[in-house]
Amino acid sequence: MRVSAVNAASSALGPATSGFVLSAAVTVLFNTALAWAKDAYPQLNNFMKSVGGHHWTTHGVFDLALFVGLGFIFTKTRVGEKIAPDQLNRGFVGAVTIAALGLFLWYEFV
Amino acid sequence: MNISSRDIILLAHAAFGVTGCMAALWVFVEALSARPESARRIQTAALVAAISMAAAWICGGYWYVQFYPAEKALILKGPWPFAHDLFMETKEHLFFITGILAFLLPITTRERLYANPAARKLVLSVAGLIVVTGLAVEGAGAIINHGVKVALIRDAAKVGR
Repeated sequence: MRVSAVNAASSALGPATSGFVLSAAVTVLFNTALAWAKDAYPQLNNFMKSVGGHHWTTHGVFDLALFVGLGFIFTKTRVGEKIAPDQLNRGFVGAVTIAALGLFLWYEFV
Repeated sequence: MNISSRDIILLAHAAFGVTGCMAALWVFVEALSARPESARRIQTAALVAAISMAAAWICGGYWYVQFYPAEKALILKGPWPFAHDLFMETKEHLFFITGILAFLLPITTRERLYANPAARKLVLSVAGLIVVTGLAVEGAGAIINHGVKVALIRDAAKVGR
């Protein structure tokens, strides 16, 4: 089994993996942008509260819907496969780092 | 002993979060030297991470919406208002990132990690980021908790004078 596994070595990612990784990268950036927008525009915060009962609940539902929706679209269209796996990985890590630091720095300084 | 359901929900939120982080760490360590025989363990740990984070999301979300406003008022009147303004504001949105990463982990671990270096690197990235962001969220929770504590201690000291 080990021999056949090594022989079948590959560096390509499947359509679902690359699609959902790309979707996650977009979703985490969207999450931070939406947090900034809610903080900057109380009307948006109130609107989101009116939709789901609490702005945080609506925010979470938007994030999940975007992650799942884009994930299936990117998987079906095989968009993620057009990006080299290492580049996709770097972009994904960069997106998460920017999104996470973006939240902390916004609430610290803005 | 008087432990209310609100206490249990809050403690369950933290416990599920830690379990999710530990499961992600398990995936990270197994993926470092992935072999065909470890594939099942990696996928199981990834699923545990996703389910634990989902449970942490539900418990934490319910507690945040139902019970946090009273604690927020205490924190803002106390000596550590930044426990809400900075740490809770960051935590409540950073948690979404950890959650999304946890849901991504079982999808990425379906690849044959022992035969695919790119997939292995990707799983290491996803699992590592879950651990880092998850621990940051846990730490923020401790600071928020302390923000409440210092506010209550100050109020108690005033009454005691």
